[in-house]
Formats: sequence, C-alpha cells, structure tokens
Amino acid sequence: MVLKNPFIPYLATLKSAVDLTPDVKLLKVELKNPTERASFNYKPGQFALLSAFGEGEAPFGMVSLPQHGDGLEFAVRRIGTVTRALHELEPGDVLGVRGPFGNYFPLENYVGKNMVIIGGGIGMAPLRPVINQILEQRDDYQDLLIINGARTPQDLVFAPEFKTWMKTPRTKLELTVDRGNEQWGGRVALVPDVVKKLAPSPDNAITITCGPPIMIHYTLAVLRELGFKDNQIVTTLEAKMKCGLGKCARCNVGDKYVCQDGPVFTLAQISQFLEQP
Amino acid sequence: MNLYISRGDLTRWLDQLCRERILLAPVRVQELTLFQPVSKVEEITLDFGNTTLSPKGWFLPPTEALFSVQDNDGQSQLVSSIIEKDAVIFGLRPCDAKGIALMDGPFLREPSDTPYQERRARTSLIGLSCRQAQPECFCTSMGSAPNDSSHVDILLTEIENGYIAQVITKKGKALLPKALVKSEEALPSPPELQTVPVKEITLAVRELFNDPYWEQLADRCLHCNVCAYVCPTCYCFDMRDYSNKENLERVRSWDSCQSIGFSRIAGGYNPRTTKGARLRQRFAHKLLYFPEEFQQDIACVGCGRCIKSCPVNIDIRETMSDLKRLEVKGGS
Amino acid sequence: MDSELIQQIRNQARSLLESGEVKGIIGYERASDGLTARPFFAYEPAAVERLIFDETCTHNLTKYLLNKKTEKMAVVVKPCDSRTINLLLNEKQIRRDMVFVMGVACPGVVETSWNHKDGTLQARCKICQLVEPLVYDFLARHEAVERPQGEPYRDVQEMETKSVTERKDFWVEQFERCIRCYACRQVCPGCYCPECFVEQLDPLWVGIRIAPKENELWQIMRAFHLAGRCIGCDECEHVCPVNIPLSLLNHKLEKEVKELFDFQAGLNPEEQPPLTTFKKEERLGFEE
Repeated sequence: MVLKNPFIPYLATLKSAVDLTPDVKLLKVELKNPTERASFNYKPGQFALLSAFGEGEAPFGMVSLPQHGDGLEFAVRRIGTVTRALHELEPGDVLGVRGPFGNYFPLENYVGKNMVIIGGGIGMAPLRPVINQILEQRDDYQDLLIINGARTPQDLVFAPEFKTWMKTPRTKLELTVDRGNEQWGGRVALVPDVVKKLAPSPDNAITITCGPPIMIHYTLAVLRELGFKDNQIVTTLEAKMKCGLGKCARCNVGDKYVCQDGPVFTLAQISQFLEQP
Repeated sequence: MNLYISRGDLTRWLDQLCRERILLAPVRVQELTLFQPVSKVEEITLDFGNTTLSPKGWFLPPTEALFSVQDNDGQSQLVSSIIEKDAVIFGLRPCDAKGIALMDGPFLREPSDTPYQERRARTSLIGLSCRQAQPECFCTSMGSAPNDSSHVDILLTEIENGYIAQVITKKGKALLPKALVKSEEALPSPPELQTVPVKEITLAVRELFNDPYWEQLADRCLHCNVCAYVCPTCYCFDMRDYSNKENLERVRSWDSCQSIGFSRIAGGYNPRTTKGARLRQRFAHKLLYFPEEFQQDIACVGCGRCIKSCPVNIDIRETMSDLKRLEVKGGS
Repeated sequence: MDSELIQQIRNQARSLLESGEVKGIIGYERASDGLTARPFFAYEPAAVERLIFDETCTHNLTKYLLNKKTEKMAVVVKPCDSRTINLLLNEKQIRRDMVFVMGVACPGVVETSWNHKDGTLQARCKICQLVEPLVYDFLARHEAVERPQGEPYRDVQEMETKSVTERKDFWVEQFERCIRCYACRQVCPGCYCPECFVEQLDPLWVGIRIAPKENELWQIMRAFHLAGRCIGCDECEHVCPVNIPLSLLNHKLEKEVKELFDFQAGLNPEEQPPLTTFKKEERLGFEE
C-alpha cells in the first residue's frame, strides 16, 4: 500500500484576500481537488499549515466554520517571510494547505455555560469561529461576553462583524485599545485591566483567551483572581512549527507537542507543564 | 542458526551487494570513519571503533527533498522523491541499530513519515558486533550490548578466520549468499563495559526540571549542534522551500534544539531563551519526554559519540550521575 | 603538569572569589576522560581546587565573557587568548573593568581530542611569538617558556604553490563533509552576531540545506567576516567534528591582511581591524 506523504500539501486556490487591518488579511482559500475539499473536516481551535510555495509553511488557526461551506478562511498577519509571501498572493494564485491539525475547542462541553471570550490583536482570529459557532447555536449557551483589544482601533481585526455580534441576544461586546485616535470614542486600556474592571463572574462560566503572550500572561492572572478555576480557563498556544505531525519536535513545550496535544489547552493543563510556554 | 563466513566469502558477498543495491559501509575519510555508499568493496574499512556520524543519516538525511513542485502545462504537481535502489547498511554497531529502532517511534507512528518509512522498508541492516569497547561506550547501561542482535537483520561477529553470522530476520536470510555452512563455534564473549546509573533517570529529570543544575552545566555549553548531529537518536529537523529557475523543492534539514532561534516565532517571542533551558531541552527530550511518549527505553543508546565530539566535554554519563546524586540530595 | 603554576592560579582565583571582586572564574578543569581539559566555571572559593592548567588547555575561554556581560568575571588566558581580549575590547564587546584577566605564561598546548593526547605541540604554538599574554591583571608564571620558532604561514604557502584547480578540488572535498553544526562559529570569540548571516532568511544568504555548495558559502563567508579579526587560536579547527582544516582558510586571510594593511588582530586594543574601518584617506583603487 502506498501511503500518502504527509508533507505534501493539498493544492488550493486563493479565492479572495481582504484587508482587515494594515497588516492582517483575511484569506479565503479553496482546495482544488473536490474529494480533498469534501474530506477537510475541521473544528474551531484546529489549525492548518499554509504553504507559500518558494518560501515555506506557517501555521494558521481556522477562522471559518465548516458548515458555511464556502472555503477555508485564515486571518494572516504579515510578520515574517512566509506571511509576507502569503500577503503578496493574488486571487487565483496557488498555495498549499496541510491539515487540519491539533485539537479543538470542545464547545459541546460548554453547552449551557456563560461564555467569556477574550481576544487581543491577531489572537482574535481563532476565537472568531468560536463566537460565530455560539451565535449559530445561541440558545445552547447562556451569556456571551466578548472582550476584544488591540494596539490601535485600526488593529481590531474583525471590526466588520462587531455589529452582528452586538445585535445578538444576551451578548455583550467590550472593545478596548492600547492607544486611541481622534475618531475613537471608546475605551483606552489594556485587556487584562478591562477584564479586571468588568469582573465577569466565574459561576457556570468558561473563558477562552487568545492574544500576545504578555496579554495572556496577565489576563490569566486576573481571571484566577476573579475566581475562575484553572479548568474553566481555556487558551490556545502559539509555537514555532514545522512539520505539524509531532515529528520534528520544534513545538515541544515540555513533553507536549503544540501541534498534537494542542493548540487548545486549559490553564489546568498548562500549569502542569514542565516547561512554561 | 549461526553460519560461518570466511573473509573471502564476505568480500564476494559485499561485492555482489554493492552491485545490486546501494551499499553503505564504514569508509576511512581523512582520519575519520564515516558511513558512505561504496562502489567497490576495497573502500570498506572494518578497522574502527565506531563511525563519527551515526547511520541515522541514511534514514533521515542531513538534507532531503520532501517533495518538489513541478509544472505540468501550468498545473502544479507535487512529486515525492524516491530512492532508486534497495539499500544495505553493512558494519552497523548494535548501539546504532538500536538507535534506528528508537527513531521508528516518532517517524513511523501515524501519520507515517513516508520518506523515512520508504528508506526503512527498503534497507537491510547487517550488524557488526563489537569485540572491543571504546572508553566512551556504555551501551549495556542503555538497554543494548556489544553483541546485541535485536535490531538488525544479520549480526556478524568477527572470529579468528572470518565471521559468525547470526541470521535474525527473514529479510536477512534472503540477503545471505547461498552456500554458507553452519557454524558450531561458540560466539565470543562481548567486552565488559562500565556501568552508568540510569535506573529511573526519567523520574530524576522530572524532579530536577527546575533545578539550577541546568544553568550551571550550560555555562560551558557552546550551543552548537554537534551532539544532536552525531547522535543516533536525535531527530529534530527544519523545513524550508528552495527554489531556482528550474524547480521548487521543499527541503528538510537537520536542526538542533540548541540553537537560540529554534523556538523563536516570527513576531520575535522566544519561550526558551536561557542557555540552561536549551541544554535541558535536549536531555529532557531524550531522558524524559521520549520514553514517556513512546513507552520505550530512553533515547540514548550509549554509543558515546556526543562525549567524543563535544568540544567542551559535556558528558551525558556525568549528567545522569549528577542528576541521580542530586535527586537523592533533594536538589542543588 | 606544572603544580606551581596551578597553585598560583588557584590562589589568585580563591582570593578574587573570597573578596567578591568577581562573580566567577572561567578556567579549566580535568575532562571526563581524565586526560584532557574542559572549561570550568568556579563561583565558590572551594571550587578553585578543580582549576588546572597544563598542555591540554586548548580552549579559548574568552568566548564565555560574551555570555557574562552583566557580571565581573575572571578569565584564564593564554598569550593567544589575550589577543582576543584586545579584539573584544576594541570592538566594544566587553568592558575592561568587567574582566579580570588571569594571564598564564603558557609553554604551548598539544594536540588533543577525547581521550587522546599527542605529544606534538599545536601548529599555532609552533609559530607563536608571545611568551606572555599581552594584557593581564595577574600573571601566573613558573618555568621559562621556550618555543620552536616555526615559520608563520608555512601551511598557507604550501597551499599557494598549488594550482587553482587543485585548491578548488581540495576545498570542495573538505566542505562536502561539513554538517553545519556551527561548532566553529560557536567556539569562536570573533563570532558574536546576535543573528548570524547564515540564520537570516530575508535576505537568504545560505539557507538551511546541508549540502556542498551551501557549506562552501558558509565557510568562506565566515572566514571573510573574520579577516583581520581572527587571532589564530585555531579552535574552530579543533572543535570541528569532521576534521575540516578550517584554520588554513583563516591563516590565508590573515596573511593577506598582513600584506595589504600590515595589520594583525588583537595586538593592540586601540587599533581597529582594517576591514571594519573606513579612513577617508584610504586608496580606493580608482582615479589614481
């Protein structure tokens, strides 16, 4: 039996590339092969390795929902050589997709709970499908609090979706920026401070946080102070990745592989890690 | 069943093998002995302790194309590379054979690493037991032995007028020349080796994970890649695309957790910046993560290459003894 | 082994640690083969008993100063190593008041490798012109030092007699063995760039492929980055696990710099290496 080479990506076409912020683009990608397209089943929390052929690969969280069926969406922040190459692609260009990899947010376990979603900057990307999933099954969940921060108002990644989020019943959207501008009439504060101020209740709640390492570090401390237990606090880790298959050992955090055992972990799990991410 | 192979028979057999297959054998290269493909039996040397680099470089080459992108009428096709002929590694020491068996853990588990898997399936291993031990050898403490036949297809042991061949697998049996006679001779006893205290070393590493020992040991570590590259069981690799006018390849190359940029992400964040953390990663991976993950022996076969090649004499035997001693003491 | 010399080193080290003048001593101790030496860091007075100095002490310990910039350290240096101190001072990589230089009047070191000690003096010692380190705060000296007066650059001259093709074939064969372990770079005190050119992906100078062409580019570019800066400790060659004669490349460029600029690295902390200096009055080779 000839086994498939797991390093070979699916070939995909770039359908569209929309500027979300000065350095983030929303790429919509469609796998060329219909069979591969049909079998690419993923859940929020998982990630794919996108290939900019000629440069290399990098991991991106899934930001679309599979049931929407119109391609795979990724929010790509231009920060290195691969992301720069991805930004330079035009609709119609070919790229590679490997995945889906990793574990996912077990949203089915959170049914009936109050959800507190905290995202900073590009960290909002893996949280967007979680929010959208909750919105689609709104009655399955209790209150939804979204705290979204960014460096400046321009860097709020999913601004076009805020209206939809805000209009949903039992949903609050709290925005904050590190630095405002002339048009910004909203809050200017760091995310952990906002969480502290808003003081969401830990009763029957699950909180999912994603953002820059320093934001996560301080936010997790605030959440603990507010009374959230470590198994109520969920986050998704970023790590340098290469193979995505649990072989090259690059994404090792202690004895865990972010690409296999993660990227979704509870704080309870992380505090047991030998090495801290 | 053991067979007898005379020196003449061996030469003829190897000559046949190197014509039919890719034959990798120890070759003398500028005061070093290295495994290299040979086209003539005369190139082979059997007068060596162990090679400077382990034979893992055949299964996980220092650089390998994972696939290339070829344009067929504007349609991109991704093509895996293949090896042209079946291969034989001859002169493999039992410690190295064990090293390969350990590497099967990460590489063959789902999803199987097909480039590695193909080489593994198409390569036969002819081991050569050690009649002498080197000062850096400690394989018996690591679950192997100078005469361990566990992970090879055939194990040869040198005797006065030739070799005794132990046929271990069907693959090995098929490889042997036909007209060999049985050997009634008793296998010579293997050399005695020093012992290194490794009992429950996994536990010791876990207990002492945050101990200042690692930062102290790392004082003299240069964070080069020598230990990882000469080691039969280190397997970290990097991946990147290479393109020129003719074609585009995705290439993987050896890498090591010792380099400072190993875990740095594009935005600049690096979770493992201190020398001690990086040094600890290599030992923790081999002595703790690997055996727990694969429910196997620790990822060290006692070949001693790291000890021999480390420019600043970081000696894993010493590290393991230090850890056992510190564990008893309750830490630094 | 000269026990008088070692005692001088140990006494000085002990006194530095007891007074708290330095955080630690970077010296040598016996390696696990019981024969050769390895770097050793002593932070407590009791630890100085492990310090040794003999003909196996080949390492250039000044490299470690670059990891310990925030604390004052003492470092044991041979005359060759002291040239690195001058280089690092000139390039502002270390501060003079943060280093206590424990010089040793070294009789030369011999060829060593794991569990192996040759009687033969290393090539660099055969041509060394220095009896004492050029800079020191303390000097350990016992027996008078006498060394053979070898011809400098003899290895380079031998190579220069070969044709271009012969030289090319020689180096192609050598670089085929390189596994890009970067031990040469990591041991070299002159290689201290936070991001080495070989790690840069943008622009991509070399890349990650471990293959002959890339290896050549790596080695030759590194040699050029050291031109006029290399002091000839030859540690790069000593640590190479596959025995590539790296010092030959460095000596060649050292010879060229000497002939073109009458300059040798590390003799004077005030004098800057010519290839990292621009002087308005320099001849640029045109309009003359």
